[in-house]
Amino acid sequence: MELTENVLEIRDLVKDFPAVRAVNNVSFDIKRDTVHCLVGENGAGKSTLIKILTGATLRSRGRILLNGQEYSPRSTKEAKQRGISTLFQELNVVDQLTVEENLTLGIEDTRFGFLRKTDKVNAMIGVMNSLEPSINPRQLVSTLSVARKQIVEIAKAVATESDIIIMDEPTAAISESEIKRLFAIVKGLRDKNVTVIYISHRLDEIFELGDYVTVMRDGKHIETKRVSQIKDRSELIRLMIGKTVFEEYTAPEGGCKEAILKVEHLSNRKLKDISFDVHEGEIVGFYGLVGAGKTELARAIYGVDECDGKILFKGKKLSPSPDRVIAAGIALVPEERRSQGLFTILTIRGNVPVMNMRKISRNGFVNSAQERKVTLDYIETLRISTSSTEKEASKLSGGNQQKVVFAKCLFADADLLMLDEPTRGIDVGAKSEIYGIIRRLSREGKSIMIFSSELPEIMNICDTIYLLYDGRMKATMRNGCDIDSEKIIHIVTGGE
Amino acid sequence: MRAETKLARTHSLGSRMSNETFITLFMLCVLVALFAVACAFVPNFYLPRNMINLLTNNWYVIILGIGVTFLLITGNFDMSVGGVIAMTGVLSVYFCQGAHVSQNVLANGLGLPYVVSVALALLCAMGIGAINALFIARLKVPSIIVTLGTMMIARGIGQIVTNGAQRNTSLPDVFGTLGNMVLPGTTIKLAVLIMIALVVFGFIFEKMTVAGRRMYLIGANAEAARLSGIKVKRHLASLFVLSSLLAGITGILLASEFKAGVSSRATGYEFDALVISLLGGVSIAGGFGSVLGMFVGAVILSVVTSAATGLLLSPDWQFTLKGVVTFAAILAQRFALDKRKG
Amino acid sequence: MNAKTRKQDSLRAQTDRADTVRSNIKAFYIYVVLVLIVIVFSVVKLGQVEMFGRGHFLSPDSIINLLRSAVPILTLSGAFTLLMISGYIDLSVGSAMSLSAVVFAWMILNGVGFLLALLITLVMGIGLGFVNGLLVMKLRITPVIATLVTLNVFKGAALLIVPEGLSAIKGSAQRIMPAWINDYAREEVLLGLPWAFFVAILLIVILVIVQRKTIIGKYAAAIGGNRAAAELSGINAVKWVWVLYVVVGLFAACAGVARASYMSLGDPLSGDGMELDCIIAVLLGGTAFSGGSGSVAKTIVGALIIMCVTTGLMTVIPAFWQTMAKGSVLIIAVVLNHLLVREKAT
Repeated sequence: MELTENVLEIRDLVKDFPAVRAVNNVSFDIKRDTVHCLVGENGAGKSTLIKILTGATLRSRGRILLNGQEYSPRSTKEAKQRGISTLFQELNVVDQLTVEENLTLGIEDTRFGFLRKTDKVNAMIGVMNSLEPSINPRQLVSTLSVARKQIVEIAKAVATESDIIIMDEPTAAISESEIKRLFAIVKGLRDKNVTVIYISHRLDEIFELGDYVTVMRDGKHIETKRVSQIKDRSELIRLMIGKTVFEEYTAPEGGCKEAILKVEHLSNRKLKDISFDVHEGEIVGFYGLVGAGKTELARAIYGVDECDGKILFKGKKLSPSPDRVIAAGIALVPEERRSQGLFTILTIRGNVPVMNMRKISRNGFVNSAQERKVTLDYIETLRISTSSTEKEASKLSGGNQQKVVFAKCLFADADLLMLDEPTRGIDVGAKSEIYGIIRRLSREGKSIMIFSSELPEIMNICDTIYLLYDGRMKATMRNGCDIDSEKIIHIVTGGE
Repeated sequence: MRAETKLARTHSLGSRMSNETFITLFMLCVLVALFAVACAFVPNFYLPRNMINLLTNNWYVIILGIGVTFLLITGNFDMSVGGVIAMTGVLSVYFCQGAHVSQNVLANGLGLPYVVSVALALLCAMGIGAINALFIARLKVPSIIVTLGTMMIARGIGQIVTNGAQRNTSLPDVFGTLGNMVLPGTTIKLAVLIMIALVVFGFIFEKMTVAGRRMYLIGANAEAARLSGIKVKRHLASLFVLSSLLAGITGILLASEFKAGVSSRATGYEFDALVISLLGGVSIAGGFGSVLGMFVGAVILSVVTSAATGLLLSPDWQFTLKGVVTFAAILAQRFALDKRKG
Repeated sequence: MNAKTRKQDSLRAQTDRADTVRSNIKAFYIYVVLVLIVIVFSVVKLGQVEMFGRGHFLSPDSIINLLRSAVPILTLSGAFTLLMISGYIDLSVGSAMSLSAVVFAWMILNGVGFLLALLITLVMGIGLGFVNGLLVMKLRITPVIATLVTLNVFKGAALLIVPEGLSAIKGSAQRIMPAWINDYAREEVLLGLPWAFFVAILLIVILVIVQRKTIIGKYAAAIGGNRAAAELSGINAVKWVWVLYVVVGLFAACAGVARASYMSLGDPLSGDGMELDCIIAVLLGGTAFSGGSGSVAKTIVGALIIMCVTTGLMTVIPAFWQTMAKGSVLIIAVVLNHLLVREKAT
């Protein structure tokens, strides 16, 4: 079989979800033995495209040709068998086994059940050695750093003759020196007949590693170009954000207000020396892309993760535990709604009053009528589409689920609301409603902190914008005064 | 206002029964069916006295079932309850026995007044619950292992204090009142009334109190519960202590009924408590189940075991029957819920 | 290398050193514990104690006796470990053992030859394990509940086989239990130890090899360590864990045969509590409760520790202290296990 010039050809690919068209007639080619980068803002459609390629989700329409042959995997296992391996942020290695055992997992040579060290095994170890000789094949994977675990996964993919290795934000969790090592390995993969699809928002990496780059925006394919033909970062950024029109932002009335939250020199494993203030009635946005540290910051303030530094809320030191933080007057809408925000097997009524039971109870006894009324109120206010308060939360659509989580936090009557990716997975109409609610809360004197990777959202409602990159606060901006979105993207993708 | 009334109306009209109510009713139907079958095949089954017995004979397992159900709702086991019954009963006798009464070691106790003995014994029971809480809530050790260990420790205490047998002498008359008291004019024991009261309180607790709600929240999603401000560790600790307290109360009542603290009392009761909870639709996955269901499950178990006795099957059949019935119930409940969704 | 990475590397070196110390402790502590326990029991009541009427703890006679009564747990705990490594548990092993003892004794009593009876019992053990696997892996019932159910079913079956009025399948005036039933578990073959013991040793050796060098051992660790990664690599978790349940059933049957042979009768309650002993042995041996890591060899040492403790305690404390003692040992084992094992991140 002759090898085609393009290892992957994507033609008119479409993926529809109930609320949105995530991938909109995307077509482009990936040439063999290249490092092909995929960039785009949050919501551009990159992750959905990757999910289709790895078999995690089925396409709605369109064709994909892998090595010239039809490719439509129905499972991640099938994708792997067809030759597409993926490096995710959740590492797919077994910590309790050795490097060698991980390399051969599922493809061992055996005789009567006994594991044999055959030439095949030695060849795999050879591949491992050529990538990173300092890793001992007999050591336990649990003793390896994240970066080295990644290398083990890469070695396995190469040794099992994968045609394509997809790397999804691989540098988010590793150190600078490890990044250099990873780059050397990635560049060397081209000589091993492996094509790398490299997803990253750190634009410098694109310029250093990439042969080609594909830019996506709003589910559409914008352009695929040789990296060498791109002048500079600005050109790439312009392709990424296009002529985005942000909704009119109106600055709030009223003078200077008190600072309700003061954070000084907050640091932990991920965060590096972050300091900022939040004032009463202010809407503060924290913008950054994957791995910037947004969720870590929210969790540190909320008392879920440990941290050093000083956090003062209403002038008093904040106790590092969620129940005390909530009692002090802060509520969090967590990033993962299904696993962290929602009680999926309970009903809407079972979810909404949870953070402020005192308001619907007396002497420890729940007032059912009040409970139902409160739930109905929020269903109406947030326009949660359901026929009954007794609907199981798991049966709601993603957008409605998020609204329930929102209702839950609003009911807590907090003075400061922290919203982590608040409109992820919500349709445009609902987004608008939520922004309206946020603005109203701010006028009522509540303070809001929004952690988001969607720039239009931040630009729409936030009064002050903090830019995060790699755990550091890189810049502060006041909305309404000549905001240069290009400059923003420049900073959150690693520029200075 | 319009939307609210519209929603309220549809709510009462197309009001969908919760899954929990559905399963409880389902098991109630199963109970009725089993009862009918038993009446057909077992002589004398369809007698009023028999039916009352079915409801009240295993009052002790039902009291245990309350605590076990609550813990199952949070996703935990408590296998220590049988041992706690024995320990508490033995200790209540030991504390109450007259001091320096005879040469026989087993006839001498601490000579404390009855009320004090009971209080102290219950405190010891709660101590076992506290140990459970420490290991399970704090150290996050699997509950099945820890509670099996504390079960042995509790029973061991009972055995040590009785030299492996029992203590039943030198007791004041008041000792036997609680366990043998009946409602005037009937044969309904005080213990049965206590059981009914506790089940009612348990139901009120789980359905109408904040703490009860939180129990379901913890079982449904412990992480979300924590992020919502629920003090998960403290809550679990209270439930374990409550479970042991309920077991302690049962131990006191049984010791009083027989005027003896027997170290081998309540062997296997923890498994029975688990069985009736599972029969009642409580799920180990957490966040689902009710003491009412547990009560129905207890009656089902009663029907099955007394039908077996009525059919002159040897007591050895109990084990197999319990196993098979539990298995069948789990599958039937799963089937019923799947059908309902689909 | 700039200052930041240098600091990171030195921090990592420090934790590496701490890890090495820690893993050394993990590797060797159990042998230390075993030696300590033997010393303790030898020293206590030195000279005064007659173990089973045969002299003190370290005398050859008492060692032989201990090893002979340890045969069931030595047979069983290795297979139990493999199952736990994959992240699953079987609480019915004690009842499976009792049922096997009863069935075996029944066959011997009714004229079946030793080898045939043994074979049939082992096949039944495979069947029992198959049922457990079916409930847990195919019907997806929580392992604890599924095996508590089978615990009761097996126990019930064992009790029902024993005729009314008797406590066990044993010889009587009408029908004599052949004396040679004892040979397997009592007849002194080598160094005063019986066949059953050497069979147990052989089985242990086989299991250790299986765990370290065969695909079963590797897949058990993979499934227990990161099931998603294992399945992504093409491992069929349902199939392999089912196999492990069958293996446990088989070994439980083997232990039951040894117990019946030792006692010359089939006691339907003889296996009660065996699952607890297995759990304690596994915990002492440092196997993580969530699976992924563990060692058959260390579990065996843990089993020996339990045997020493229980037989040693039997001479030192009255019988009615036993339950308390066992419960305390379990709690201590839990604490030790908690300190030694860094549970995998969920």
